Amino acid sequence: MDFKVKKSIAEINEKIKDGSVSVVTADEMAALVRELGAERAAREVDVVTTGTFGAMCSSGVFLNFGHADPPIKMRRVWLNGVEAYAGIAAVDAYLGATQPSERNPEYGGAHVIEELVAGEEIELRAVAHGTDCYPRKSIETEITLADLNQAVMVNPRNAYQRYNAATNSSDRTLYTYMGTLLPNYGNATFCGAGALSPLCNDPEYETIGVGTRILIGGAHGYIIGAGTQHEPVKGKGTLMVIGDLKEMKREFLRAAVFYKYGVTLYLGISVPIPILNEEIAKRTGVSDAEIVTEVIDYGVPRRDRPVVRMVTYAELKSGSIEIEGREVPTAPLSSFYMARRVAEELKRQIERGEFLLTEPVARLPTVGETKPMKQTRELPLVRDVMSREFKVVREDASLEDVAKAIVKGKFTHIPVVDAKNKLVGIVTAWDISLAVAFKYNTLDKIMTRRVVTAKPDEPVDIVVRKFEQFDISAMPVVDDEGHVLGMVTSDQISKLVGR
Amino acid sequence: MKLLLRFPSHLHERPYTAEIILETGAKINIDRAYVDAVHAEVVVDVPDDKARRVVELFKERGVEVRILKKLIVWDETRCVHCGACVSICPKGVFRFDADWRVTLDEGKCVQCGVCINACPMRALALFYGEGERVKQQE
Repeated sequence: MDFKVKKSIAEINEKIKDGSVSVVTADEMAALVRELGAERAAREVDVVTTGTFGAMCSSGVFLNFGHADPPIKMRRVWLNGVEAYAGIAAVDAYLGATQPSERNPEYGGAHVIEELVAGEEIELRAVAHGTDCYPRKSIETEITLADLNQAVMVNPRNAYQRYNAATNSSDRTLYTYMGTLLPNYGNATFCGAGALSPLCNDPEYETIGVGTRILIGGAHGYIIGAGTQHEPVKGKGTLMVIGDLKEMKREFLRAAVFYKYGVTLYLGISVPIPILNEEIAKRTGVSDAEIVTEVIDYGVPRRDRPVVRMVTYAELKSGSIEIEGREVPTAPLSSFYMARRVAEELKRQIERGEFLLTEPVARLPTVGETKPMKQTRELPLVRDVMSREFKVVREDASLEDVAKAIVKGKFTHIPVVDAKNKLVGIVTAWDISLAVAFKYNTLDKIMTRRVVTAKPDEPVDIVVRKFEQFDISAMPVVDDEGHVLGMVTSDQISKLVGR
Repeated sequence: MKLLLRFPSHLHERPYTAEIILETGAKINIDRAYVDAVHAEVVVDVPDDKARRVVELFKERGVEVRILKKLIVWDETRCVHCGACVSICPKGVFRFDADWRVTLDEGKCVQCGVCINACPMRALALFYGEGERVKQQE
């Protein structure tokens, strides 16, 4: 292609060295391209800095502790009670950001990483088999980041190009990696930095590639390849990145906890984009209104959750979106404020001549899709385990009728149905005791109306989770119209597991 | 003005709040109530012009009254301004400013506590007074 503006990375680096380089952040560039057009923007700007700051679960650090005396070949190692993977030589380990502590589920790998960066002392405990060359069988000591030979962050999947937004159609609050999702579409959350996000500004991966120097956690680092689950055809590219933990700053790296989900790491990443021609300039002019993503219903606990609607980042950032005719408040989980600070930090470093651009040595794949897991063993479904022998009572039934149904059929749970045979409640042997004890004499005083139910085509694991969540031992299986098809009990499931 | 009322257990059965509303005509809004076998804590919002009289009347009846000036503790050094608190707050306490920094409008807070666990940085806590234990329903 014949470009009107042609620059090379080497030329831009010369400008960085002599201080004449012109750098803007990606959101400033969007305004410039709108105002001046791509060609003039390409002439005026040499580098666009992007930024993102959000939860990056697929992160971790390689640590080398140095050798003890007598030496140990660590088989298992814990840092402040958080286990790191030790299956790599004697005193190397990989500490994953989301690994929870064995003592406290609200503390994990990300906290250890943040505390290391803050210079705090970390308790190290390791055990070993003992060999002729590594005789020692256990060690306990305290270490700080400065005591380690190497502490290198290597993150398999960071900086998603875009990610789906989340909402919840179910009737209870969900605690997810997308934050707290209120019932009945009570809110929607989203992540990613939109138009400031690195890969959104280079969706063809023209300048962002293997070997691109970046800012990660405030330190200089590199892109070492496409990240895991890199899915360019869906506009969901990811990056695998590396950076020296010893150079990182706590303000750009934070341990976080998603309630009832677990620990993760918030990380700031900034990738520079050299403006080599007007086409690249045009793409860095992307705005939030042009970046589209799906709103997904996390109320459905399956891999293929339904897409509620498509939405732009501009809509998400406006504070509310419409779902099924109602206004649903939206809020990000990533920090735009910090994403901008990260982009501005890189801008400042380039302007001061402290950061030179690199030529990528290989391009990121522009094709490829992420497959679901191959499952070789069929998961039993509710219909395979449910009992088809059950007894229902009508809502106008007497308590005696219910008691008889319980005694005759040896059932502990009796679904209550209306005149059209649709489920309206459930009553248990316990409820009958309650009625006797407190002299209630009608069904509507004792039955539970918000019944937890199962569907015949649901995998049994989902029912197990419901048993735990609601602390119950049986539930009716219903079809889409609410007709009772059977009962599933925790006893049936225990038998299945015990097989 | 927000008041935290602590009812001693022997007072649980008495409709004092209703009596005081009738006596003063104050439009008292109950922001939050926590009642169990031994505690009864209620946070009420009282119009400022009637607040003095309402406080007196509760105190006369043996109810412990604390004026809540501060409702929520926000550790700005922990906060990264992500916004996880923004969409889940039923009262709109949290907003973004023009720079996408989270700001608090504490007066709107009813201490429901939803934001406390929703904050990934654990930067928020309910405030009940120095050294006071926080009572919260799951």
